[in-house]
Amino acid sequence: LTVDRAKPRLISRGDLLAALDRAAARKVTIISAPAGSGKTSLLRTWADRPEQPHRLAFMQVQRDQRDAQQFWLALLGAVRQASAPPGRAEPPAATPNFNGRAMVDRVLSELAGQRGGLILVIDDLHELISPDALAQLTRLLTNLPGDVHAVLATRRDLPLHLQQLRLAGELAEIRAADLRFTERETRELLDASGVTLSDAGAALLHRRTEGWAAGLRLAAISLAGHRDPERFVAEFSGSDRTVAEYLIAEMLERQPDDVKDLLLRTSLLDRVNGELADLLTGRPGSEPILLALEDANAFVVSLDAGRTWFRYHHLFADLLRLELRRALPEEVPVLHRRAAGWFIRHGQVADAIQHTQAAGDWADAARLLADHSFSLTMDGQAQTVRALLLAFPPGAPADDPELALIRAGLSLARGRLDEAAAHLAVAESHAETTPPDRQRRLRVAIASLKLSLATRRGQLASVTEQAKFLDSPVTGQSDEDIALDNDLRVLALMNLGTVEGSLALADAERHLREGAVLARENGRPYLEARCLAQLAFASRVRPFATTRRRCREAIALAERHGWGSEPMIAPALITLAANLVWTGEFDEGERWLDRTERAVQTDTGPDIRLLVHIVSGMLQAGRGRRHEALREFSAAEHLGSQLADSHALASQVTGWLLATQARVGLPGEARAYLAALDDEQANSGEVGNARAVISLTEGNPAEALAAVTAVQDGTAPVIGYVTLVETHLLAGLALRELGDQRGANQAAERALGLAEPDRLVLPFVMTEGSGELLAALPRHETAHAALLTDILDVVRGSSLAAKDQQPSPPAEELSGAELRVLRYLPTNLSRPEIASELSVSVNTVNTHVRNIYAKLQARDRSSAVQRARELRLLSAGPTR
Amino acid sequence: MSVHLAALDHGVMDPAPVRYAIRIHGHLGATVLSAFPALVPQHHGADTVLTGLLDRSALYGVLAEVEALGLDLVEIRQLTPQRRSPESGDSRSP
Repeated sequence: LTVDRAKPRLISRGDLLAALDRAAARKVTIISAPAGSGKTSLLRTWADRPEQPHRLAFMQVQRDQRDAQQFWLALLGAVRQASAPPGRAEPPAATPNFNGRAMVDRVLSELAGQRGGLILVIDDLHELISPDALAQLTRLLTNLPGDVHAVLATRRDLPLHLQQLRLAGELAEIRAADLRFTERETRELLDASGVTLSDAGAALLHRRTEGWAAGLRLAAISLAGHRDPERFVAEFSGSDRTVAEYLIAEMLERQPDDVKDLLLRTSLLDRVNGELADLLTGRPGSEPILLALEDANAFVVSLDAGRTWFRYHHLFADLLRLELRRALPEEVPVLHRRAAGWFIRHGQVADAIQHTQAAGDWADAARLLADHSFSLTMDGQAQTVRALLLAFPPGAPADDPELALIRAGLSLARGRLDEAAAHLAVAESHAETTPPDRQRRLRVAIASLKLSLATRRGQLASVTEQAKFLDSPVTGQSDEDIALDNDLRVLALMNLGTVEGSLALADAERHLREGAVLARENGRPYLEARCLAQLAFASRVRPFATTRRRCREAIALAERHGWGSEPMIAPALITLAANLVWTGEFDEGERWLDRTERAVQTDTGPDIRLLVHIVSGMLQAGRGRRHEALREFSAAEHLGSQLADSHALASQVTGWLLATQARVGLPGEARAYLAALDDEQANSGEVGNARAVISLTEGNPAEALAAVTAVQDGTAPVIGYVTLVETHLLAGLALRELGDQRGANQAAERALGLAEPDRLVLPFVMTEGSGELLAALPRHETAHAALLTDILDVVRGSSLAAKDQQPSPPAEELSGAELRVLRYLPTNLSRPEIASELSVSVNTVNTHVRNIYAKLQARDRSSAVQRARELRLLSAGPTR
Repeated sequence: MSVHLAALDHGVMDPAPVRYAIRIHGHLGATVLSAFPALVPQHHGADTVLTGLLDRSALYGVLAEVEALGLDLVEIRQLTPQRRSPESGDSRSP
């Protein structure tokens, strides 16, 4: 090979390296110069020199990178690779729901954790075509930790807003003029390439190329094997043609046919390996040629340590592509088709679709994208999908129902609900003309997206019936089809279960559990975590212990993949927060609430923000901050009114809003609002409770008692038993004011009895006055002394410590009879009194107490009670 | 990005194309010229002048090619007189 004989090396440009060293002492260095100026070569020689004192994280932006997430994953990967022992760096996980801000925070925190400093090198930054990513990068660059520096190389100045750094003298620039080869360097390059040329010839060459690095390197390659270098330079100088074109033509002409053919045919790939090159040239033996080209420094660079993948210098590749199109126009689509086939066989779908589009096979490209858009999205390439979608020309394939569906999905993911609805309508209107083999898939996808849209709009009632057919599994297809459809099916089950969960329908849990299992089988942790998060939310009607376990399970799975603060896990976060607030564990509840708020920062849906306001209101009310609580409940009420259909918690929000208004001294406002409610709301148990609160603040206990009667006797519908706890408390307060202390005690005991299984504390704290009500309750008259103590603690202003830290389990499980006795231990009742309460003999009680002490490893009654509280054994209901 | 999407979705078009002359240093050969199929080349001394009707996005496409191919851009000139002719009926002018 001609190129094999030429051995031009990257020459060590001492002055330039020193300049870069000086620049790199600043916070940020930008190397901004046109194609072929030698930016990459400079960075490589600088990075690879043996005396390089800095640790470097090196990355090259992929050609035409429109996917912000792919850019950031590569950057984070480079940072990790620089800091981890060789081969041990953990590749960062992609997420379908990319949060750029959180990503920058993550990179900053990993950079801050670096010891001994680091220089982040980003080459080809001009290839990043994402305004979002550039804005995020600006944030990164202006917030770099103390001993971290950045060096960026780009063909043109980018809209990075670094004025602050510039003013602070922390920005250095190296530009085209600095990169230009001097005459001396030209001479050195020629010598290093084994070119014999007179000083006059070298000077002429330098003038003709104007010190342009790519020109000099190209010339050196041609000159190395040339019989008459002086004549070559003279002819080149005499020509008016542009430097690059002239020299590339010269270089190509001097290559053997097989090398030239390989370069031309593979130029349309962004990266190439031996196998792909063999496929495109139709000949074996490409790999040695690629290796030889790299050794000759002929604008071919290997991308991996094993030297299996290569890429061409962009300028070189662009000129080769033009030449290919000119010399072999009819071959171009054929080559793209072959490349697409290779990429699809190797699971590189995005590349395959790109080449199918380049071949002009739009219908095939549309089908490929439709089949894989969902998997690509799951693999964190949503923006790649968008870019591929935009590459379709306007016209027939744009009306493709499957493409319309992808557009709908993307719009939905970005919270553009009307746009999504419009695309969905296009998909539906063309569904009839879709080939039968793709009909079902299309319908499942349409139904699934409709459900998702309905959830976001709070338009629930109408959609579940239409979507029932999602329940039946698909059969009779190839494995690959089933895998594709399984992903779709998980999505369908998830969206269906989510809607049902919001409506508190019984099928929700079954569908979500099924979805989670299927997602796990498909190897889709993101979908599994999402199903589990929705399952946690849907199980809010379950015993609290079950709900908490499900929340923590979903959160743990999300955290394992770095999604612990993503919008998708928010349903589990908010459910856990609510749960903790209900049981008076306010501090812990607030921590989860804060995390929910962080997670939903990028989410525009009213559904989850509504929940955040409700739980914030509960927390504020629990802490006695009525005005703050009022603000939160008002915000929740406002958001709720924007939803198309009334939501499951609507009467709860209204009830609490009115009650809080009355408590802050605005019973008139509350009355006015009450008068404007529709019948369904007005007759709900929650609003009944609010009426009682208003009457009590107005000093009318008789009216308050009348207001809760319908709730107590079950005629008024309630959201859950938690409403009834409040109802009994309000009845108790009214009775006490009416002078019926005995009735008041009974009502308080009923409230405690209802609250006991889940150890609800919040309703007592929210219902002002219930502290006195409970304090007046004689201890020997209650079977719930432990809960009562907890409640009074919280009423007096403390937050209960989180109890579900899972203390070590008892040596042996307590029997049902022992549990019954155990629950009397916190009371003042003596053993004979307990025996008579339970209608058993004193001996029996003694035996049980002995066993309880042994199993709980307790020495006396108070340590047994303490241990039982830790283990949450004092609640009467089922704990699982 | 959003503007970009909306433009594509709703078929919003650029204003009418305008004739441009783009002067590049050096004589462009057939290979490089094939990157500018919409433009007519002419040698002026040591330069090449490319002329053609371009709307705004086509113009930026040409400039991107010039950048990608490492060409030495000397000048860009609009040849068509400005569009502000009285008969254009621009009712927004005061």
